[in-house]
Amino acid sequence: MAAPSKKVFEVFVSKIPWTLAGKEMKEYFAQFGPVKKCLLPFDKETGFHKGFCWVGFTTEEGLNNALQKDPHTLEGAKLQVQKNRRQFEGPKDAEYD
Amino acid sequence: MSFHCATSENMAALLRSARLLKCSPLGLLQISCTKRTGPPLRLLFSGPLGARGTGVCSRHISPASGNASSRVWPFTAGCVRNYSVATEQKDEPGIPVRSDQAQQFDWALAKLDSSVRRTGRITKAQLTRIFQEICKKGYSSGNQALLLLRSCGSLLPEVPLEERTKLAHRVWEKLQKLGAVYDASHYNALLKVYLQNEFKFTPTDFLAKMEEANVQPNRVTYQRLIAAYCQNGDIEGASTILGFMKTKDLPITEAVFNSLVTGHAKAGDIESAQNILTVMNGAGIQPGPDTYVALLNAYAEKGDQDNLKKTMDAAESAECSLMDRDLMPVIFTLAKAGHQEHIPHIVERLRHDRGYVPDAMNLCLSLITQGLEDTAFEILKTFPNLQSDGFNNETSLGNFFLRHCVDMETPLEKICSFCKELQESNMHAAPASFTLFVALENQNTAISLAMMKLLKELDLPIRPHYFWPLLIRHLKSKNPAGVVEVLKSMQDLKVKPDIETLSQYVCPAFANIEEARHSLKDAGISLDSEGFFNLKVRTLAANNLAELHTFLSDPSCPATELIVFRMSLVNNFKTFSDVESMVKITELLSKDKRFSKEGTKPSDTSAFFLYNVIDNMSEAEVHRNEYKLRQYLSQLKDKNITLTLNICRGIKNLLQSYQVPELMKDVFALVDHDGAGSEAVVGIGNEGRVYSLEKKLAKKKAETQPLETILKLTIQSLVAEEKLMRALKLKRQHEDEMTTPAYASLIGLCCRHNNVEEALNLKREMTRKDTSVKLDGTKYIALVQCLAKNDRMDEAVELLKEMKEKEVVLHDKHTTLLFHMLFSLATKGGAPAIQRLQESMFTLGLAKPNSNLLSPLVTAYIESEDLSGALEAVIGCQKRYNHMPPIHRIIVGLVEKGDTELLQKAMDFVSKERGEMAMLYDLFFAFLQTGRYREARKIIETPGLRARPARIQWFAEKCINTNQIEPLEQMLDMTQKLFECDRDEMYSYLLRQYEATNDWKKAEGLWTKMQEENVIPRERTLLMLAKILKMNGQEVPFDVPKTWYQEEAPPAPKPKVEDGASFRSPIIQSPIIALCKEDKAQEALKMFKEANDEGSATNALIYDHLIRSLLAEGSFKDAMEVKNIATASIPTFQMSPAANDLYIITNSMKGQVYDALERMRSLMQANQRPSRLAITRLVQALGNSGNVSGIQEVQQLIKDYSKAVNLSSMMFVNNTAVAHIKNGDVDSAMEALEAVYTNPDTQSLSMASVFKKTLEDNNDKALDKLSAMAERLANHFACYRPASDLFLQLLDADKVEDAKFMLARINALAEQKDVLVSYMSQKAQIPGQLGKIKTLLSLIPDFAEKDVVNTYLMKCHANDNEFSSAKALYEEWQKSGGKIDKLSLKRLAVMYRESGEVVPFEEPPETFKFYADKLRDRGATSQKKAET
Repeated sequence: MAAPSKKVFEVFVSKIPWTLAGKEMKEYFAQFGPVKKCLLPFDKETGFHKGFCWVGFTTEEGLNNALQKDPHTLEGAKLQVQKNRRQFEGPKDAEYD
Repeated sequence: MSFHCATSENMAALLRSARLLKCSPLGLLQISCTKRTGPPLRLLFSGPLGARGTGVCSRHISPASGNASSRVWPFTAGCVRNYSVATEQKDEPGIPVRSDQAQQFDWALAKLDSSVRRTGRITKAQLTRIFQEICKKGYSSGNQALLLLRSCGSLLPEVPLEERTKLAHRVWEKLQKLGAVYDASHYNALLKVYLQNEFKFTPTDFLAKMEEANVQPNRVTYQRLIAAYCQNGDIEGASTILGFMKTKDLPITEAVFNSLVTGHAKAGDIESAQNILTVMNGAGIQPGPDTYVALLNAYAEKGDQDNLKKTMDAAESAECSLMDRDLMPVIFTLAKAGHQEHIPHIVERLRHDRGYVPDAMNLCLSLITQGLEDTAFEILKTFPNLQSDGFNNETSLGNFFLRHCVDMETPLEKICSFCKELQESNMHAAPASFTLFVALENQNTAISLAMMKLLKELDLPIRPHYFWPLLIRHLKSKNPAGVVEVLKSMQDLKVKPDIETLSQYVCPAFANIEEARHSLKDAGISLDSEGFFNLKVRTLAANNLAELHTFLSDPSCPATELIVFRMSLVNNFKTFSDVESMVKITELLSKDKRFSKEGTKPSDTSAFFLYNVIDNMSEAEVHRNEYKLRQYLSQLKDKNITLTLNICRGIKNLLQSYQVPELMKDVFALVDHDGAGSEAVVGIGNEGRVYSLEKKLAKKKAETQPLETILKLTIQSLVAEEKLMRALKLKRQHEDEMTTPAYASLIGLCCRHNNVEEALNLKREMTRKDTSVKLDGTKYIALVQCLAKNDRMDEAVELLKEMKEKEVVLHDKHTTLLFHMLFSLATKGGAPAIQRLQESMFTLGLAKPNSNLLSPLVTAYIESEDLSGALEAVIGCQKRYNHMPPIHRIIVGLVEKGDTELLQKAMDFVSKERGEMAMLYDLFFAFLQTGRYREARKIIETPGLRARPARIQWFAEKCINTNQIEPLEQMLDMTQKLFECDRDEMYSYLLRQYEATNDWKKAEGLWTKMQEENVIPRERTLLMLAKILKMNGQEVPFDVPKTWYQEEAPPAPKPKVEDGASFRSPIIQSPIIALCKEDKAQEALKMFKEANDEGSATNALIYDHLIRSLLAEGSFKDAMEVKNIATASIPTFQMSPAANDLYIITNSMKGQVYDALERMRSLMQANQRPSRLAITRLVQALGNSGNVSGIQEVQQLIKDYSKAVNLSSMMFVNNTAVAHIKNGDVDSAMEALEAVYTNPDTQSLSMASVFKKTLEDNNDKALDKLSAMAERLANHFACYRPASDLFLQLLDADKVEDAKFMLARINALAEQKDVLVSYMSQKAQIPGQLGKIKTLLSLIPDFAEKDVVNTYLMKCHANDNEFSSAKALYEEWQKSGGKIDKLSLKRLAVMYRESGEVVPFEEPPETFKFYADKLRDRGATSQKKAET
């Protein structure tokens, strides 16, 4: 029985200090496996990001490596990393992984 | 002086108000609750009565609270009395308004109060928000005004003094306009604020104003006026007021003398100031701390260090101890008077009392506000370094300090030096970056840039996004010059603007990119950075595709990933303005590696891009551009641009959702011909899937097309139907086309069929094709199990090693599989095999040893009756892995065999490892289990033994599960005297057992026994007992506790008097109706008949009530009889809508669907609408009776208004499916369901009810088919809802093993968090369902965040009234460091209170609903946030 092919290997990262931006997050998480995407939303009103982001790995391995590490400390701050809880709505996004 | 009053008095004031004012709304609420069934509240409280009601309330309270706080604040009593009198005299608004006001006041107060309690201050933002909130409401009461006024003084250390006074005046005027009536308390509050803010005013004018407003000054007014004179050194003025007081015979208190001390000092007469102390002594008033502080302040102003010391010593010898809080104003005065050099002497005296930090923080803030930041910094350095806790190992002392410095725009060089010093002394890990953060938040460019320079000096990075908050300010005000300035500073700091900065925060300020470029160039900003290049690409992508194509095709153009300009490109493509260039660019993307990510094929990049384009179009856009889209696609085809099947399927879904399926064939034309053809995508047959797939396969083969995908699908279908031989045959026929997933499916099937040879062959074949592929953990484990089963241990171990080498990732669910694998070997007595596998697993690190994984070894020994071996195994495990497998069965075996020697050994071992208590329990349970009750009793009566609820529960559950009644009964008896034994719990175990065996006699006996034992049963125990008795038609000998929840479906809608116009006759409630309301329909009927026989007049209302009551209890015939009588006496009589609903419901529940359906028809014809419940019940009944056409008819009947009654479409689908199943036509049921789940719009609807029904009916055949369907949908269509529903229904039906296996087969079930969480939340609504949630958690421990789970668990405990469990949960929760939400705290607090214990934490003050809403809001906003 093949594992379902629609898996998304994403982590949800929170408690990101304001000093870090998408580039730093991407670089940091690349040590666990190839990073496919990194979404760190910024508030267009304040110019600060919102403290959380999604990092998508290309492989399940990357995801697991990232989840296994604890704590994630980056520039002195402890990031909270967890499996992404947000379900991908519908088959739209899920077709491609 | 003023500073001191600030903290202590005002805080006391706030707290006092809290106590005083909470009473009124609460009192009202309570009344409304208890009177729910009585006359409406409005009647009780209308007019003047109401006003008196509240007046009494506050008067009743005031003396008490006055006494309580008079120690802290001597003026309180007077104030309060005045206040309450004022309330009484006032013209009260109506009750609804008042209670609303009271509630709002409570809210505001709670906000301010909690802030004051935590920090001793209020922020300006907090205060203004509450102020605005009150203004928005448009009316204000006196107490609101008082609250706000009091907050405008030194509770705002962060606000400059003048501003505070202005704020107070604003509040005063505004609230007066909104209807607040001011009394002496308000004037006094304003005076206090003036004093705290050192506001200069003329006391006589103030008095005149009061007089004008017809408000009498009181003692407090005079005292404060004296203080006001004294603050200015005006002894004469003070004396005048003093004279007033004397003539009015008002007592002179310490406060007056304290003011005089200050007054004399301010007047320059320090000697007289000193003398006041003697005068006080003469008047019999002891100088208090405030007196000494007044004197100390006087010396501080002069910088008289000697006298400062002397006074402090004097205070000490007078046993008037000066707290830190007393000395802080002295420090403030010294700083303000410029005598900083003396401050260290005072600081030395600080004792760091409890609460030092918040007080000292407020001192710092006040100092900074006054521009005395150097002194503030000295104070900061006295702070204990408490922030360096375990959670955040970063130290960050002084955040508040730095923030306030930035807010106050303290000079730059000072801020810099503070930062440096904080960093050097390790008090703060990153002061500069924190300060920068605050400065950016404030959009303060100067401080921000200074901080960035500091960062640079410290060798810390400065990143482009640091400038965004600064740029945003200029962007919003459309100020290009400002933007240029910021960019200049960026360049000075050597930070290159990246593409994000340029495109989002720079260019939008200019008319266009060219203008931006020019402006920047003119300002001397270099433009050669990567950011500008990317910007150019993006701009071209957004504006000019032809130029973009030229630019990109140029070989000198550097490699740029599509992602850099994808969104711009997509947005441009959407307009379809230049199809020719679009095609060219797509072609370029599909062929040129430069635009693809490393490792990605360009053709994939272009294909995915195409998907993106279509995905980003709206339905309207697609329709508008349909022609051009087709044109574009057909040109792509001409250029040989291809799509993979996957992408194609995705686009198909999009097009379907846009309602343009006709475009699909254009897309399919692009499908890569190496993959399967379009048919496989389009036609998804529900039946004969394998057959049709095989047919397609043959066709393709004939056409010599590639077969990989279709082959895989066919094999997977065969595997799903367990057709091993056919699948293998197919494989042999198409060996070359086999892909890894196809192999994996086959290997799994072989393992299930114990065909290890074939499985290994397949694996070898697969690896031969591609050495890099690996199977997933599940397959590996199946293979290992298969090998071990066939005694091929070496190979099994090798395979485990291979798993390690290939780094196969294992999760919790795999651990469960490993357990099952080991356990499957245990039955054969395969202890050596198990041991070997365990060793390899643990040493390789594939799993961590735990008692569960170790237990199969013990089982294996026990199965082969080798107890000594089993014991050795346990000892070995403990030694090697430090985990002990369950030992109960061994001990039971030893006890049975009477092997005392070995038993001793076992006991010694447990004692040593787990302690004596654990050993005793093991022995106790073994004796119970083996029926040696005398021995068991001896053990449990061991002195010093105490109850271990978890272990007792374990044994009890074991007895219940294995239906062992006697040991459980014995345990109940034996534990009667056990220390800390929860007796009710013990009884409830046994009740559960009796419930299972339906033994009502024994259950009733338990109740008597409880009385004998003086046990007070919990509600849930009584409910359980009542249920057993009722089920057996027995009378319940006690008052069944009322629950707020409904166990069954909602009861008949309660009769409403307002029903129907004809019923509004002014009758007194008839006794018949009264009986109906008490659910005594038969008695009511009897009375009705008697009355009818006597010819007494009845009316329509009575008929209707009676009919409804009879229907509700199911007496259908009687109800119809009454109806006939009614129609006979009142020809126009008609049953009310509620009665009609009941008619349908009753008939449906009784299975008389034809009558119910007939009534539904006639109601619809008469244009009446049955309720949702009635429709649902009818459709369910139709489903249960297999009446498919009936369901269709109902659906047709209510078609037009099904939305209005909010009926789910799934209700019809599910019940139709149930009907089909009842008729034995499972295939039709599946067809309908599959149609739902293969439609992307309805994939997430629930079909739980179908599974539930099928499970209830024990219809295994249907369940097998449905379950196969669910798994097929999951595996082939990634549609997990049906499988999730089944999984949860299995859990719900206590078929835990089945659920477990299902989970093992479909791993993704664990990811269906929404469904799982909603199951948990449903279960948490119903008492007694905790077990279900626990089971779910044991299978999928991490499906929700711990805090979320805990919230639901707390709810369960509250529902079940499980106080001890709730406490335990709370403890665990605290330990876990999770965030305990207020709702859970509230629940716990209520349980504490109900059991008469003191709540050990601060109970959240608001209502349950408040916190529930808040929790929901939080969930919603966090989701919203997450989605942006």
